[in-house]
Amino acid sequence: MLIFTILLDGIAYGMVLFLISVGLTVTMGLMRVVNLAHGSFAMLGGYLSSVMIRNYGVPFIWSTLAAALVCGLIGGLAELTIYRPLYRKGDLAQVLLTFGMIFVSIAAMTLLFGPTPVAESMPKWLEGQIDLGFRTYPAYRLFLIGVGTLLAIVLYFIIERSLFGARLRAAVDDPGMARALGINVNLLFTLTFIGGCALAGFGGAIGAGILPIEPFYALKYLVLFLVVVVIGGLGSFRGSLAAALAVGILDTAGKYLVPQLGSFLLWFIVFGLLLWRPNGLLPPKSAT
Amino acid sequence: MKKLVGALAGAALLASAASAQAEVIKIGLIANFSGAFAVWGQQFRQAVEAYQKVNGKSVDGNEIQFIFRDNGGADPAKSRQLAEELILREKVKFITGFDLTPNALAVSELITEAKIPTVIFNAATSMITRSSPYFVRTSMTVQQYVAPLPTWAVKEGGIKTAYSLVSDYAPGHDAEEIFVKNFEAAGGKILGKDRIPLNVTDFAPYIERAGNSGAQAVYVFIPAGAPSVSLVREFAKRGLKDKGVKLLAGGEVQEIFLPAIGDDVIGTISSAHYTETNTNPENVLLRKTLVEMFGKDATPDMGTVGAWDGTKLIYDAIKQFGPKITGDQFVNFAKGRKWDSPRGPIMIDPVERDIVQQVYMRKVEKRDGKLVNIDFFTSGMVKDPWKESNPAKK
Repeated sequence: MLIFTILLDGIAYGMVLFLISVGLTVTMGLMRVVNLAHGSFAMLGGYLSSVMIRNYGVPFIWSTLAAALVCGLIGGLAELTIYRPLYRKGDLAQVLLTFGMIFVSIAAMTLLFGPTPVAESMPKWLEGQIDLGFRTYPAYRLFLIGVGTLLAIVLYFIIERSLFGARLRAAVDDPGMARALGINVNLLFTLTFIGGCALAGFGGAIGAGILPIEPFYALKYLVLFLVVVVIGGLGSFRGSLAAALAVGILDTAGKYLVPQLGSFLLWFIVFGLLLWRPNGLLPPKSAT
Repeated sequence: MKKLVGALAGAALLASAASAQAEVIKIGLIANFSGAFAVWGQQFRQAVEAYQKVNGKSVDGNEIQFIFRDNGGADPAKSRQLAEELILREKVKFITGFDLTPNALAVSELITEAKIPTVIFNAATSMITRSSPYFVRTSMTVQQYVAPLPTWAVKEGGIKTAYSLVSDYAPGHDAEEIFVKNFEAAGGKILGKDRIPLNVTDFAPYIERAGNSGAQAVYVFIPAGAPSVSLVREFAKRGLKDKGVKLLAGGEVQEIFLPAIGDDVIGTISSAHYTETNTNPENVLLRKTLVEMFGKDATPDMGTVGAWDGTKLIYDAIKQFGPKITGDQFVNFAKGRKWDSPRGPIMIDPVERDIVQQVYMRKVEKRDGKLVNIDFFTSGMVKDPWKESNPAKK
């Protein structure tokens, strides 16, 4: 029974990481932009959804979707104005600018909402327990697993089965050749960026029960998001799902079984996985 | 010629009298105003500004001017540099603030050398006040406010078994030590203890372990803010609360954090040296002033009350000694001093220069649609237990 509890907890935690990180892995893999400010969009989504629920009484599901939409639009705007000039500037300039954006977002959120975590705004139907037969389990975590699975399936069809996805994968694997074949890579970039930021905003809003929304969110969880991207393989959608679940489950199992390992645990996992697959679990063709 | 000298002397006298009248006493305040610990800076500043609104910005005509400096994180080097700048360039008479222990310890040599009295508004590690004779603390120590909790739990609360979950850093270790010691001394049994790394974001496994131990209560000590919010939420969502397991806490469930945790937190028992809903006249005044100045959601916490009392101590000392007050005069003035704080009666220990105060047992309830802590038990005056069990350690 312990094994099921570990799996459930690990998958729920992994799904939150997946929802937020998948956008980052695609933008990093596709555009080669080191967008450290990705977590800021997740944080923004969390704040927006909380404001909508608490101040305007918007139902939870609609508020998370609206937060995703707004984050996507802001992300698209940012892509056109801030990120586009960065594409040719090299990694260092990208790291500096996007890291700076994290601080701007932290300061802005502190100013607007104060330094403490925002009030919790989960709906009643997510608060209780559900009887699974062998144990009762928090409804919220089951909901996370469900939403994560659903989204993974939707993303699978968009990225692996649609024409848009085929172009996207082509551009990730070989941008030069994709351009030569007449694929509008610029448009693809903008659309992908919008999608990535919308996913981050959605993940931030829906995962707020596990990762509370506060101004430092964007920096505090940055390493976690990057870990998922790196372990999954830059630009790999399936990789980021596998990596998020692997990190979630292994980290949870470790905490249950060997809590004495403390904070080293996560790094042992990262170290081990990267030693085994230096390019990530499921890297795109361009990386192998 | 004589006339001229006389006139000059007169003018000089006048000038010095005028300057004596309008002396500016500068007080430096070092805290985190940005970054992950920015809540401390906000609370300190609100407390100081509220105190100045009530009591005026001057004492006997001498202007009291606070100079705020941002420590920007747990950064001892920066803290030391800020203190140096405040002493040398701003010529401050006092330094105050300090949310985090490393930042406070970093200035101990400097303030000893410069004889600048330094009032700690929060940093709660026991040994800080022993690191310089010019430190005075108006907040608390970890072991001080944790100590009465386990004793109450066994003797009054009917809790015989407990599981301890603390963050894996020095204050967490201090809390675990005193909780386990007093719980066992009172006849209770600890069924297990885990130390949670500071970088943990998902607390489900720890709550699950604690729940599976079958303990009647789970004791937690974890940095207040996002981590404590996650942990307490998880405790309720796992159904431990429904199974009758009690959650025992401390600073995690200060009123300021309750909305973030949500209604799940109702029923949590905690110990603290300050309960935000107490009806002491000083506290009523403090809360009223905060709301007037900073809006209806302004809520005091441990940091607020530490800063309020520290500011009061400095004001009272200046009232007695005037603007030329020295570091030694201030420290001697503080030693053994008693007054009524918003939290209740407090005293500065004449030997250790640390605070002695009551500890309150509280329970989270919902009153008028607001989540608040309500006192139900008050301990006697508590000295820092760590200092009593380590009489010579620095």
